[in-house]
Amino acid sequence: MTDINKDIVRKIKEDEVRPYSRHYFFLKRSAIWLLFGLSVLLGSIAAGIAIFQLRYAEWDLYRHLGHSLIEFALLVFPCLWLVILIGFMGFAYYYFRHTEQGYRYSMLLIISLSVVLSIISGGILNTIGLTEKLETVFHEKVFFYKGLEDHKRKIWMSPGQGLLSGMITKIISEEKIQIEDLQGNYWIINISGSVWRGRLKPVENQKIKIIGRMAGKNIFVANEIRPWQGRGKQGGGRHSVCPEKGRR
Amino acid sequence: MTQKPSYENMSDEQLVQLSLKDENCYYYLIERYETKILRYIHRATNVNKEDSEDLLQEIFIKIYRNLNGFNQKLKFSSWIYRIAHNEIVRQYHKNKSRKTMFSLNDEDDAGNILSQLISDEDICNIYESREKATKVREILSQLPNKYQEVLVFRYFEGQSYKEISDILRKPPGTVATLINRAKLHFKKMAKRHHLA
Repeated sequence: MTDINKDIVRKIKEDEVRPYSRHYFFLKRSAIWLLFGLSVLLGSIAAGIAIFQLRYAEWDLYRHLGHSLIEFALLVFPCLWLVILIGFMGFAYYYFRHTEQGYRYSMLLIISLSVVLSIISGGILNTIGLTEKLETVFHEKVFFYKGLEDHKRKIWMSPGQGLLSGMITKIISEEKIQIEDLQGNYWIINISGSVWRGRLKPVENQKIKIIGRMAGKNIFVANEIRPWQGRGKQGGGRHSVCPEKGRR
Repeated sequence: MTQKPSYENMSDEQLVQLSLKDENCYYYLIERYETKILRYIHRATNVNKEDSEDLLQEIFIKIYRNLNGFNQKLKFSSWIYRIAHNEIVRQYHKNKSRKTMFSLNDEDDAGNILSQLISDEDICNIYESREKATKVREILSQLPNKYQEVLVFRYFEGQSYKEISDILRKPPGTVATLINRAKLHFKKMAKRHHLA
């Protein structure tokens, strides 16, 4: 048996076999942890954008659209981002398993912790406003991306179901304004008795969303008017069309 | 190489450090584990003597290359068994002409494992019958590789669940599940072959 020992040591010397350096293993371990961290970070971004889309989906509209809550939830569900989140969680699991001690933990534990970490981080990214910026970037730069903007356009261009949106082009009177909708059509909007959400005031070139009903061809009676971004949950009331002339 | 007694008293970790400084000292590390690894190769493969020695050489060269990667949180024996196991799997996939990876060539081994898997009352009957030992080998070789490898580590190499977990890089719970399932499989097949 000792011949084999000697043969092995001789082969190591003859072939000049050298142990891999400590730096090699340090770099290898670091790379794996880096890739794990990156997967969790990208998963966080996906989770953050999904949270953003769910948060601003305007859930109160499902009745206007004639859907049940479940149907509406399926419509607004951010499938793309959840698929991306799942993908990155898969990567996170793979890289964690390849860390030095990672194999000791069960698949369920690793994936659950990664998902929780991503959701918490995504929530933080959402709170600081980063996911909203990313959503805008994707919408503007990625031609096939159908995010919240497209979803909003679809929902808010349903005048038959009492939902309309566009830009104010003219203040006709205290009770009427003209808008150009998202498809380029002009509408006369009766705003008498309507509630303007948030700190919104009727101003030309302002983009708005209107809840109400159609009263004829290109004529709409508004019950509630919201800013294009958000729901205008803060404050609200009936505004004077000409704030310089009349005050609330 | 003349200071054998002092090397015998050294821990594996000390020998690793010495081998990194002087490749001649690696001789003592090989000597310590050579028999165990060679026996494991015989249990885990059905290669001939020459091929097993070649495989042994490749394993120890690989261990030498990776000495700086040895994690001291692990037992050194678990670490080298891990390298040995991975190298055997690599060779198996390279030469897939063999039907199964694990093959028990030793009759005593076959009897040993059966005594652990079935009740003690059956031991005497089993040892008396060579035919039964052959059937045991057949049954074990028919088990899926994932069951064979855990049974080999547990009942032939005498590794604990934690050590098997470190060798195979699987969670301890998974190892326990695999061993239980392997035992159930074995008992079912043993019943079919009228062994239990």
